[in-house]
Formats: sequence, structure tokens, C-alpha cells
Amino acid sequence: MDGVLIPTLVSGLLLGSLYALMASGLSLIWTTLGVFNFAHGALMTVGAYFAWTVSEQLGLGLFTGFVAGIGAAVIAGVLIELLLVRPFYGNRSMMLITVMTTLAASTILERGISIIWGPRLKQLPRVVEGQVEIFGAPVSAHEALIIVLAPVVLLALWWYTGRTRSGRSLRAVGQNASSAALIGIDVPRTFSLAFGLSAALAGLTGVLLGSIRFVTPGLGTDPLVNAMIVVIFGGLGSMGATAGAAYVIGMMEALLILWLGLYWTPAVLFMALILVLVFRPNGLFGRAA
Amino acid sequence: MTRNQRLVALAALILLALVPAVVTDTYTRHIFIVAFIYGTVAVNWDLSLGLAGLFNFGHLAFFGIGVYTAAILTTALDISPWLAIPAGGVTAAIAALVIALPVAKLQGIYVVLVTFAFGQLCMQVVLSQGDLTGGAEGLVRLPYLSIGDYAFIRDFRFAYYYVALGLLTVSVISLLLLAHSPFGKSLRAVRDNPDYAAARGISVARQRVLVLVASAVFTGIAGGFYAIYLRVASPEVFGFSVATLILSMVLIGGAGSILGPVFAALALTFATEAMAGTRGLEEARFIIVAAAMITVLRIAPSGAINIFSRFLTSGRKT
Repeated sequence: MDGVLIPTLVSGLLLGSLYALMASGLSLIWTTLGVFNFAHGALMTVGAYFAWTVSEQLGLGLFTGFVAGIGAAVIAGVLIELLLVRPFYGNRSMMLITVMTTLAASTILERGISIIWGPRLKQLPRVVEGQVEIFGAPVSAHEALIIVLAPVVLLALWWYTGRTRSGRSLRAVGQNASSAALIGIDVPRTFSLAFGLSAALAGLTGVLLGSIRFVTPGLGTDPLVNAMIVVIFGGLGSMGATAGAAYVIGMMEALLILWLGLYWTPAVLFMALILVLVFRPNGLFGRAA
Repeated sequence: MTRNQRLVALAALILLALVPAVVTDTYTRHIFIVAFIYGTVAVNWDLSLGLAGLFNFGHLAFFGIGVYTAAILTTALDISPWLAIPAGGVTAAIAALVIALPVAKLQGIYVVLVTFAFGQLCMQVVLSQGDLTGGAEGLVRLPYLSIGDYAFIRDFRFAYYYVALGLLTVSVISLLLLAHSPFGKSLRAVRDNPDYAAARGISVARQRVLVLVASAVFTGIAGGFYAIYLRVASPEVFGFSVATLILSMVLIGGAGSILGPVFAALALTFATEAMAGTRGLEEARFIIVAAAMITVLRIAPSGAINIFSRFLTSGRKT
């Protein structure tokens, strides 16, 4: 068992890291604006495709590609906020309307990407080559980098939202937008900031994922479902609970794949989620709203 | 529904019943049939989303479950399509019951997330169970409907046209009866003022379970019919694009109005089919539909979605 268990746990750690990156981006927008961005996965895809074009097609190197990918995701994210979310501020059914508009944005981005880049599979090169060992389990250095990078990014985000002036303004707006405006916070700018930051996280996740999996128009929308399971499990309210839930789900998924095989894992994971929700409607770590 | 609306609906039905006398080419009839199927799905989605105000974003899962129930029953078990189509309604209703258990208790965004995730997970299960479902390629060459020696595809799909129209009509009439029953009124009460409705003794959780199951029945049957009619089942039915298309029918037609989505379904199906036949627009049509949906939401955010407010005024008459 030892020979299988450690690699499984490491792959669970990798999944958890990716989910944590995705889910923290979703949670950031939710806590600031009360909007769930269904286009988050599509923003990941945008990041991966731009990174591919700049680094592979134009041959400008992987680092430039990463910057371009994240930059493209940020621009797309801010545009979504401006065009599809901002017009509905203050509307009583804003949450529901923005679900629909971001869902539509996701379709537009996904189809647009498949028109522009075509159906051929693409792949980004790895950031670092070679292999490392984690507790005796061989892991590619790129995957190890993701495992290390995710907590660093999350900690940086936690530090930013808790310790810096502009980061704290995000939280202030999330808690009470009108009071935040009264003490001089530029609320609309803060909304753009939240979307831009979340889109940057999406772009980063997209380019990292693009060298593990093939870059397809569905690159980001497929793992989005699991990120949703994460945020339902952890509740959307706090970044810490969301990140915790991401690692729990990642580990569970890896172990289920080991025990049940790839086929039944999504269904069992979802059944577990339904059971949790029947008994704890606000998520495993969530508190009543 | 006012008397005028009833007359318009009746006139529309008579016109649609006469269409095959005028329209004799297979292709146009095909689009009508698809529009009737989409219309059935859209009006039933309108029941949960529009009339009951339940944030159900997994409605297409019920449709997909119907599609795959009919496809698997007819291919793996050799069951007659006449039984496989209604069986789609049964399995969809069972799935709705399962998903209703958590949804009955959840609030706001979590309802959206759970129902949406449910739809995507159905797709993952279909993709992973390749032996039964054909995986990403789907199932092809399903048996077609026939009575005796008469195959429904003959005479330019004459019989299919009326089966599809019948399905839509029965579904719309049941929904209208339901909307005007005390149950339908209590649904609107819960949607417009959940606290007051609960205070008057309406169980919100019980309502949600019943609504989801009721909306799944005809949607599953429509799915079964869709599979048998097209003779294929493909995992695309669970995807974002079909969901966006049907959702835009509900929104453009006017959520909560039941008849609106039917007309929107006819218009949008013809529009997207025309675009599908135009070079360069095959992929772009989904973008155009999504953009149209956003436009409707921007121009009339509370008009197109009267989930919350519009029916407060016009609802008295219905």
C-alpha cells in the first residue's frame, strides 16, 4: 500500500493546490461583490491560450507568455465586470442576473476561443524540467512547483486583503459598500480591483494547468465544476475555509480515484456533497448567513 | 392568463397544427420539431425558474437524463422506443427528487451552484461510462418510432411533427393548469414573499421538491423523444451552449409567463438554425445568442426576469 499511497497523496495535494487557486479567486469576488463569476473557468482558458500564442507561436519565451496570459485574463475579467456586472449593481436580483450574464460570458469566451485558435490541441512547456521526490514519490518538478506556489500565492492574498490599505478596502466594500463609500473608498474602483485580481488568479491557474493538460477551449470550464464543489463544501464566505476545503476535496478525489477508479469518482464526490448539504446547508465549514 | 392571451395561444396552436399542410420540405419541418422540443424544455424550466423562483441551473440535466435513458434502453436493452421515451420522464423525475433533497434547504447562490454542478456531473458520468453511453462519441443509430410498418420519418416527418407538437401542447396545458391551481398560486406566493408564505403555512421545502419533480417529467420525456427523433445521444446536451440557448428562450420570452418561452423557442430555434446554415456563423451563433440574452437582461433586467417583481402587478389577473 505504501508504494501507492504516497503518490496518491501527492497527486491529491496537486489537485488541492489547483482547486485552492481557483476557488480563492471565486471567493474573492463573492466576498467583495456578492457575485459568483461563472466565467472564471473561461478566464483560465483565455490565460492559457494567450500564454501559448506569445511563448510558442511568437517564440517570446515562457516568462513573457505567462505575463501575457495573466494580463489577457485580467483585461477580460475587468471587461466582464464593466459590461456584465456593473450595470446591475443595486438591482434586487443582481445575484441571479450576474449568474446568467457571466454564464453567457463563459459561452462567448469559450466559443470565441475555439473560433480564433481552432480545435487543435496545444500544450504549454513546463516551467521547470526534471523530477523531484516528495516523501520518496517521484513528481515532475513543474507539479512540485505548483504545490509550493499555491500556498505562497494564498498567503500573499491573505496578507494583501488583511494588511494593506487597498486590500482592506476590498473587505470593507464587501462588508458594507455604503459605509465604505462614506469613509472615502472608491467603491466602483474596488469592484474592478476585485475582478482584476480574481482574473489574475484565474490566468495564473490557467497557464499552470496548460502545461499539465492539453490546452483546449474547455480547459478551465471542466475543473470549474470541482472548484464549485469546493466552494459549496467550504462556504464562500471566508478565504481560509475555501482553501481548506480545496485541499480536503483534492485529497478525497485522489483517494477515491485510487479506490474506485476514475469513472465513479465524480459521482461519489457529488453524492458526498449532497449528503453534507442535507445535514449542513451552509457547507462543511460554513456558518449560517 | 387573460382571455386575449388564451385566444392568442389557441390561434397559435391551430396555426401550428396547419403548418404541415403548407410546409412540405423535410428541413423546415425538422426545425419546427426541434423548436417544439426546445420549447417543451424551456416552459418546464420556466416553471421552476420563473414561476417558482427557484434558482435551478441544472434543468438541462433532466433533459440529458431523458436523452440517455431512451438511448440506453433502446440500444442496450432493445426496449421499444414507445416505452423508452416516457421512461426518460421517469428517470428525470427520480433525478430531480435526488437533487431536490439538498436544494430544498439551501439558500441563494448555493442553490445555483448545486444544481449547476449536478448538470456538469451528469456529463462527467456519461463521459466516463463509455461502455454504456458511448462516451464522448455518444450513441448513434437508435431505433426510430413506428406503428406497424409506418415509420414516423416518412412523408417528410409528417408524424414526428405531430408527436412533437402534441408533446409541447400537453406540456403547456398541464403547466397552465398547474399555474392556475392553488398549488401554482402558492408557488408564486413563495417566490414573491417567502416569509409571508411560510407564515401562512406553505412549506417552502415541500414546494421546491414538488416543483423540481414536476418540471423534470416533461423535460425528461422531451429528452427521450429528442434522442429517438435524432437517433443519436451526445454528451453535448449537458454543455454550456445548449443551456445558454434554452435559458435565453426563457428570458427573452419572459420568465414566469409560460407562453412567452414557447414563442421565444420557435423564434430562436429558427434564428440559430438559419445561422448554423450560414458560413462563418456555425460557431458564432452561440455567441450571438449569449449576447442577445445579455442585451435583454441589460435593457429590461426586471422586465425580462419577472421572477421577483413583475408578476406582483400582472399576477393578480392570472
